[in-house]
Amino acid sequence: MARNKFDVDEQLETPFDIRHLKRSLVYAAKYKKRIALSLTLSAIGVIIGLMSPLIVQNAIDNYMGSTDTIPQLLLSGLALFTCICVSVIFAKIRAKMMTRVGQDIVYDIRKDLFEHMQRLSFEYYDSRPHGKILTRIINYINSISDLMTNGLINFILEIFNLIFITIFMFFVNWQLALVTMAGLPIFAVVMLVIKNHQRKAWQQVSNKSSNMNAYLHESIVGVKISQIFTREEENAEINDKLAKAYKKAWMRAVSFSNMVWPTTDIISIVVRAAIFGVGLIGFGGAISLGTILAMTDYSARFWQPLMNLSNLMNTFINAVAYLERIFEMMDEPVTVDDIDGATEMPEIKGDVHFENVTFAYEEGINILEDLSFDVKAGESIALVGPTGAGKTTIVNLISRFYNINGGAVKIDETDISKVTLKSLRSQMGIMLQDSFIFSGTIRDNIKYGNLDATDEQVRAACKIVGIDDYIMSQKDGYDTVVNERGAGLSQGQKQLIAFARTIVSDPKILVLDEATSSIDAKTERYLQNGLNHLLKGRTSFIIAHRLSTIRNCDKIMYVSNKGITEAGTHDELMAKQGDYFKLYTAQSV
Amino acid sequence: MFLFRWLWKNMQGCRAIYIVALFMTVICQSMYIITPYFTQQITDTFIINENATQNLQEHSDLLIQMLIAMVGFTLIRGIIQYSGNLMYEHSSQKLIYNVRKVLFDNIEKQDAQFYNFYRTGDIMTRVSGDIEMVRHSIAWIIKTMLECVVLFTVSLVFFFSIDWLMALCLISLTPVIMFITWLFRRKVGPMYVNLREKLSTMNTAAEENISGNRVIKAFAREDYEIERFDVHSKDYSTANKNAAFMWLKFFPYLEITAQALSVVMLVCGGLFIISGRITFGEYTAFAGLIWTLSNPMRTLGNIVNDLQRFTASANKIIEIYYGSPRILDRSDAVDRPERFKGSVEFDHVSFSYGDTKVLDDVSFTIDPGQTVVIMGETGSGKTTLIDLIPRIYDVESGEVRVDGINVVNLKLEQLRGNIGVATQDVLLYSDTIDGNISFGNTSMPEEDVYKVARAADADGFIRRLSDGYDTIVGERGVGLSGGQKQRISLARALAVKPAILILDDTTSAVDLETEKHIQDALNSLDFPCTKIIIAQRISTSRNADKIIVLKNGKIAEQGTHDELIHQGGYYSEVYELQK
Repeated sequence: MARNKFDVDEQLETPFDIRHLKRSLVYAAKYKKRIALSLTLSAIGVIIGLMSPLIVQNAIDNYMGSTDTIPQLLLSGLALFTCICVSVIFAKIRAKMMTRVGQDIVYDIRKDLFEHMQRLSFEYYDSRPHGKILTRIINYINSISDLMTNGLINFILEIFNLIFITIFMFFVNWQLALVTMAGLPIFAVVMLVIKNHQRKAWQQVSNKSSNMNAYLHESIVGVKISQIFTREEENAEINDKLAKAYKKAWMRAVSFSNMVWPTTDIISIVVRAAIFGVGLIGFGGAISLGTILAMTDYSARFWQPLMNLSNLMNTFINAVAYLERIFEMMDEPVTVDDIDGATEMPEIKGDVHFENVTFAYEEGINILEDLSFDVKAGESIALVGPTGAGKTTIVNLISRFYNINGGAVKIDETDISKVTLKSLRSQMGIMLQDSFIFSGTIRDNIKYGNLDATDEQVRAACKIVGIDDYIMSQKDGYDTVVNERGAGLSQGQKQLIAFARTIVSDPKILVLDEATSSIDAKTERYLQNGLNHLLKGRTSFIIAHRLSTIRNCDKIMYVSNKGITEAGTHDELMAKQGDYFKLYTAQSV
Repeated sequence: MFLFRWLWKNMQGCRAIYIVALFMTVICQSMYIITPYFTQQITDTFIINENATQNLQEHSDLLIQMLIAMVGFTLIRGIIQYSGNLMYEHSSQKLIYNVRKVLFDNIEKQDAQFYNFYRTGDIMTRVSGDIEMVRHSIAWIIKTMLECVVLFTVSLVFFFSIDWLMALCLISLTPVIMFITWLFRRKVGPMYVNLREKLSTMNTAAEENISGNRVIKAFAREDYEIERFDVHSKDYSTANKNAAFMWLKFFPYLEITAQALSVVMLVCGGLFIISGRITFGEYTAFAGLIWTLSNPMRTLGNIVNDLQRFTASANKIIEIYYGSPRILDRSDAVDRPERFKGSVEFDHVSFSYGDTKVLDDVSFTIDPGQTVVIMGETGSGKTTLIDLIPRIYDVESGEVRVDGINVVNLKLEQLRGNIGVATQDVLLYSDTIDGNISFGNTSMPEEDVYKVARAADADGFIRRLSDGYDTIVGERGVGLSGGQKQRISLARALAVKPAILILDDTTSAVDLETEKHIQDALNSLDFPCTKIIIAQRISTSRNADKIIVLKNGKIAEQGTHDELIHQGGYYSEVYELQK
């Protein structure tokens, strides 16, 4: 599995694709009524706005001559004020609507991305720094909100504006209109060149900010290690390097983006100069003065939307760099997913069969090869053997955290690849090596295993694992707030809470993967008693190194690099004097 | 004002450039007022003028000169604007680079108390989202403010020079705008405080979701997580809308007042013309530049809006910026550059987390080179005890001494540099295995990496990985089994050749054969080393020089294996269990 690290840019496979923009339009389509209404409002606002110069013009021409026309002048002022009020109010309504639409689109995209993210398998999370995933779901999506709120509608409006003025210009004088538009090809070429560089440059910016965030995330998570190893200075240097790279990428990107506005400005002025030149000298007085005046005015009006559009383009290109990443993640294939027509897993009795299972994390390096075994409902199975032989892999396959490369894993004769993941996993109780604690109360953490669990059930579970006394000794008892790092809880206590969490989920099959490694021998003994009671009638898989934990299991499987080499009860395996015997005697004191 | 002083302080290295940029803004804005002059001249001379046709025929070279001047002028303005903008970008980037540096340093040095309070996602928000607002403050807010002031002042001077009464009429609306803006400022401030709070909450929720992805899948809680995140996402979206709506509530008043300038212009201007106070030409001059007054007025709202947003963010950053870590070198710290001998002494040490007493009057001595095993029930204070040696926490009372010196009097770097810890919660970086092992000693030669890996019995499995030592492990070491991670963590601790080696339950997930191998290796290290080992297994403790058993934060038993077995306490119970 190729893994990405914090200082490696993520390569984007797809070339620039207009489909990204189209795809975001799909999100906009949901709100097309509101967008259309906003557009209409804007159009009306613009038309009313156009009336203002007429009112002013009329007043200047007719009402400023003598004192007699003062009432008309005041009336004109009132009319002008009314126009302003109406157009501003329209603008406000439109802005309010579009804010709503824009924020809703952003919300929709984030929702879709998050939902997709939940379906991605371990492989996705394992193969890149978590800070990079976080950056996408939070920062990147925030970066497109401006585009969605203002960019979209302004873009459409400016295009309309442009078309309107072009038609008008041709109507007035087609030769001069052509002169006005002569700047267009130059403009297009310049924009195309800039745009090309710009897109790549902004992509670099998004890469570098992602790298920086990834490193920051790791540094926060691993701060204790950094301090213990006095790595602060070296880490600061790495951070410095990443920050510098970001700054450099940013400066490069803005050196292109900032070019857009002045370039457009200059082209428009050149065009205006050309109109004067051509109009006055070229036509040698053959053209009416009014026309020239009108044309210079319109050329200004023609280039204004173009300038606005080129500014909008900056927003677009910037946003597209982020959209590409967002959609790339949305397109990330879900490797472990419900098959078409997946059925619900019936209530599990607990038989587990591995039939010639072959599995590899990486192509060509098989972790498990042609592995077969059967477990009867209610049996407790211990998996022992050297680290890295594949014990965790075996139990992970029972919950279908990975797809197998050959053979079949069956529970109660049902091939688990044929049922929905949810119906399968919700009947399993898995305690992982890494006991992750969510921030929230202790009660919430335990109820995570079964959201409907009553307080009594929560307490009962804690009593079984022997952490009830500790929790009750805390000031807030079960309402004590813990966080991601499990502040105040020892590793062993975290494991016990994770254990209680598994117990309240009332699983049909229980998997304990080094679940008690950080728990001291005495507490474990206590735990064992409760557990024996709990295990009755449930199939269980236990991975442990402490033989006192394993001894009482119905069956012990010795997993080595060659697969399951020994299986049987403790006494049988001891009698055999094989690998298990060696392991056991190594531990006995 | 404090915020601006803070910005200035952090603009070290770009202050000069920033001032030049501001200066360029002044020039550029002034030029904007001058440009229309050219068009005006051309129109006057060659179009409207009575002798326009004649002028055109006789002075066509003048026309061309004027056209060239017009283009040239714009070109110069464009260049000034472009370079000015890049200077703004440069200074604002330099600013956030400086801030980021301080923040990172500070985050790295913060103690456990800080990390118990601040969530990862929250810190991330501050260093990514909030810092963007700081950038915005000098790249846009201050720049725009200056633009407005320049434009407003220049045109005001211009207007007053033409007719003071007309000018007064035009600025009569300014107090109204000021008042509305002031009202707005008070209302929108809290909205932005709320908005960034929601952003931080959402970020935290996403961060935990990603970190906890295995547990989520194990309990098939994806739908629940989606619902949970949805609440935060919706909250954030609503907060965004509310802040925008607050702006929109004031927007009509600001905008109408600003645009009403043209009404004032029309009515007052008209009346003045009628009364003969001003000429038509003067009226046109006023009307042509009226935007230079109204634009700054309407931009004021935007500026205030962003200023509030900046304030909300900057306060969050400053909290971390000035949040000084509590565990620091003392000014009179002893300088001990030489390798420590490795004696450790606890002298009546007590420690609490909040209200919970975790260690209570703990005293013991470890001589250089000794191996001491610490045992005790879950939650009895074992990890806290060893955390006090490298000063991850400071004691509440009593003293921890290394080589006879109170650890708080030693330099942190020298103290920690002499201690190698393999922590219980194995945190690996998303880096190569080689990079992870040499984490504390980046300059170590390749052979030494192999050597410590062999001592930790990790060399074998590492070489079997697809890229060997160059295999990149995921964050937190995902992809490796628990035992494998522990062995890399052990190798990492050994790599610094510490005078004091602390192993916090480092072999709990390794099989027994491996553990035996590791023990042998630890007994034959090629450097002198005191070993403090937290363990659950008797096989680890039986040959130790001393075993300390903790119970509820107190030392319950202390002695050698044989002594403790005969004492018949916790240790002997555990011994019986594992026999």
